[in-house]
Amino acid sequence: MSSAASESLTGSEVAHLRHELRTPVNQIVGYCEMLLEDAQVPQLAHRQATLRAALDAVREATALIDSALPPTSATIGKDRIVSLYESLHAPQTRIIDAMSGLLNARTGDADAEFIADVCRIRDAAERLLPTDRPREESTGSFPLPAAVSVAPSAAVGSKPGRAANILVVDDVEENRGVLQRRLNREGHAVTCASSGPEALHVVKRHAFDMVLLDVMMPGMDGYETLQHLKESPDTHEIPVIMISALDDIASIVRCIERGAEDYLPKPFDPVLLRARISACLEKKDARDREREYLRDVMRVVAAAVAFERGAYAGGSLQEVSQRTDELGTLGRVFDTMIAGIREREARMRGQIDRLREEIADVSDSAMSESDEFPEVLLPGATFADRYTIDRPIGKGGMGMVYLADDLELGERVAIKTLRPELLTADETAIERFRNEIRLARRIAHRNIVRTHDFGKADGVYFVTMEFVEGTTLRAVLDRRGHLSASAVLAIAKQLAEALRCAHDEGIIHRDIKPQNLLLDAAGTLKVMDFGVARLAEMTSSLTQAGMVVGTPTYMAPEQLLDESVDARSDLYAAGVVLYECLTGRPPYEGRSPIALIAKILHEEAKTPEAVNPDVPHAVSAMVMHLLAKDVTTRLQSAGALAEVLSGLA
Amino acid sequence: MKRILLVEDNALNRDMLSRRLAKRGYQVDLAVDGVEGVAMARATTPDLILMDMSLPLKDGWEATMDIKADPLTTRIPVIGLSAHAMDGDRDKALQAGCDDYDTKPVELDRLLGKIEALLGRSTQAG
Repeated sequence: MSSAASESLTGSEVAHLRHELRTPVNQIVGYCEMLLEDAQVPQLAHRQATLRAALDAVREATALIDSALPPTSATIGKDRIVSLYESLHAPQTRIIDAMSGLLNARTGDADAEFIADVCRIRDAAERLLPTDRPREESTGSFPLPAAVSVAPSAAVGSKPGRAANILVVDDVEENRGVLQRRLNREGHAVTCASSGPEALHVVKRHAFDMVLLDVMMPGMDGYETLQHLKESPDTHEIPVIMISALDDIASIVRCIERGAEDYLPKPFDPVLLRARISACLEKKDARDREREYLRDVMRVVAAAVAFERGAYAGGSLQEVSQRTDELGTLGRVFDTMIAGIREREARMRGQIDRLREEIADVSDSAMSESDEFPEVLLPGATFADRYTIDRPIGKGGMGMVYLADDLELGERVAIKTLRPELLTADETAIERFRNEIRLARRIAHRNIVRTHDFGKADGVYFVTMEFVEGTTLRAVLDRRGHLSASAVLAIAKQLAEALRCAHDEGIIHRDIKPQNLLLDAAGTLKVMDFGVARLAEMTSSLTQAGMVVGTPTYMAPEQLLDESVDARSDLYAAGVVLYECLTGRPPYEGRSPIALIAKILHEEAKTPEAVNPDVPHAVSAMVMHLLAKDVTTRLQSAGALAEVLSGLA
Repeated sequence: MKRILLVEDNALNRDMLSRRLAKRGYQVDLAVDGVEGVAMARATTPDLILMDMSLPLKDGWEATMDIKADPLTTRIPVIGLSAHAMDGDRDKALQAGCDDYDTKPVELDRLLGKIEALLGRSTQAG
C-alpha cells in the first residue's frame, strides 16, 4: 500500500481499502450462507452451529469495516487503520478456527465440494488482513483428498475449449509448474521455456497454437521476446497472451501494441485464464480457416490463370474439391469443366491429325488451271510503290492473287487484284466496298485470313491480306474426292469458330465455298475473302445472268431469291461445303446454273449418309440441319453449330 | 428457466453467487470482465444481468451504459453490484442505466427480491 507510510489515507484510498477488505468478507458471507442452507437437512445439522459462529464473526468484521471506513470521501488517519486491523484479528481468528474445526471434524458425509468450500472460506479469512508472515500453503495443515481442488468449482456456464499446444515462458519455475499443471488439466499439451532466448529457440522447432509469455524476465524480457516473435515470419501468426503481475494500463497497451493477443494479470484467475485461452484459440482457428479459404481461392484463381495460358496441368484443385462449401463446388465444377474441354481438345487434335494426313499430299492445283484472267502484275515489279510482286498464287471469280513483299511492313502479303468491270460502277459502290473492307479488317481470328487494305494503283483495284501457305479445300476435294468424317469435323469446327467470330462482329461472308477455305500444313483452316464477296454481290445487278458471284452451288435459297441475307446464309453455305467434304459432291448439281438453282429451291437433297454410308448419322443430320431451305428451321447461329459439333465424337 | 448473466471478475464471488443462484433455479451465464459482459449480453440476451462495478478492461458503469445503448440489450434489467458502498455509488450506477443496485456482501434474500421484482416487471413489459 503506497500511502501506508503516510499519516492518512485519501478518500479514494479509503474506498480502495474498503473494497479490498469487503471482498473477502463478501466471499466468506456467501459461502457460509450457502453451506448453512445445505446444512438444513437433518444429516448435516451438526454443521449449523459452527457455520453460524463463522457468520457471526464475519458480520462483526463487516460492522468493524463499515465503522472504521464509512462510505464517505473523508480522509482517515493511519492510526484508525491500524486500530481496524487489530480489531479484525479476533473475528478473523474465529472464522479460521471454525473452518479448521469443520475440516478436522469432517466425517464420511463431508464431500469434496464441502471441503473445497470450507477451504475457500478459510483462505478468504486469511486474506482479510495484510500480513508480513509468510503465507501458509493454500491447503494449510488440512490434508485434502486428492480429488479436491480449491479452484472454483466447475463454473456454471463454462465450456470446455479445444486442446492446444501451448508454450509457457516464465523465468520462475514455480509459476511454470503451476501453469503447466493447470493447462494440462484443461487438456492442453504444454512446453515450458525459462527465458526469452529459450522460447525463441523452442518456438521455431514445434508448431504451437499459442504462447503464454511472462513480461518481467531477466535478460530478454517479455516485451523483447514478443517483438522477436512478431517480427519473424515463422512465428508472427502465433497468438501470444502476456502474463504478468504488472496490471497497469500502460503495460497492457505496450503489449497489445507489440502484437500480443491478450493480457492476463497475475495472480491469474483460472476461469479468466481458461476463457482467454479459449477465446484466443477460437480467434486463431477462425484466422486459420480464413487463411486456408484464401489459399484455396488463390489455387482456383491460379488454376484459371494457368488454364488461360494453356499451362494448366490439372489435379491442383484436388484439395479444394474436397471442401464441402461453395468453393469446393467451384473446384469440382472447374475440374469437370476442364476435363470436358481437355477431352474435346484431344478429340479435336485427333480430327486435325486425320485432316493433316488426308491433305498431306495435296498441293494447290489452282494455278495449274488455265488462266481465265490475264495476269495484271508481273513478278519482280513494284506495285503501288509498296509491294514487290513475287508470283501469282491463285485466281478466283474476282481476279488474280499474288504473293508479294510489303516493303513498308517487311512482311509477305497476298494481293488480290479485282476485275476492273466489278468496280466500274460508280464511286458510291467503291465507297461501300471500302466500308466493307474496313469492317472486315476488324476481324482477328486464327481461322480467318486477315484483311489488310483496299486500294487502287496503276488503274488496278486491289485488296491486300495475310499470306497463308497452304492449299484450298477446293484443291483437296478435287484431289481426294471426299474426306473422312473425322477430318470433316475438324474442318467444321474451325469453320464454325471463324463464322462465330465474324458474325459476332456483324460481318456476313456471303461466299463461303471450298475455294475460300485455306488449309495449312498443320491442318488449320482459314476462311478468306471476308468483305470481298460483298463486291460481287453489290455489282451483281450489273453483271450478266450466269455471272452471279461465280457458282450458285453454295448459295442459300434466300440468297438466290435476293431476299434478306444474314448469318444463317453463311451457315447454309457451310452445310454445302461439309456435305461435299463428306460425299465428294455438293447436295445439288445441275447441267446449267438455272437447273441447279431450281433444284436448290425445290428439291430435297439426299442425306450425306445416304450418299456415303461411312458418314455417321449424327454428322449427316447436322449437315441436313444446316441445309434447311426454310431459314427459320436451319441451325440458327455459328455458336449453335459449334455447340452441336462439340457433342459429336 | 430464467437466465441471468453474472459479470464478475472475482473467481470466488463468481463461483459462490452463481451456485447460489443456480440452486434457486436460475440458469447462470458468466462473464469475467466488462468487455466480455457486453459481448455475452448481446450473444445470450439474458433475462437479467448482475453487474459488478469494479471490472477489468471495461468497468461495470461503462459496460452498463453500452448494454443500455444497444437496442438489442437495452430492455434487459441490470442490477449493479459493488463492494465499495461509498456515497454516490448507487446514484452513479443508476445514472449509468442500472435498474437497481445492491452492495456486497450480498444479502441473498434481498438480492433475490430485487431480481424477482425486476424479472416480474420485465415479464409484464415483455
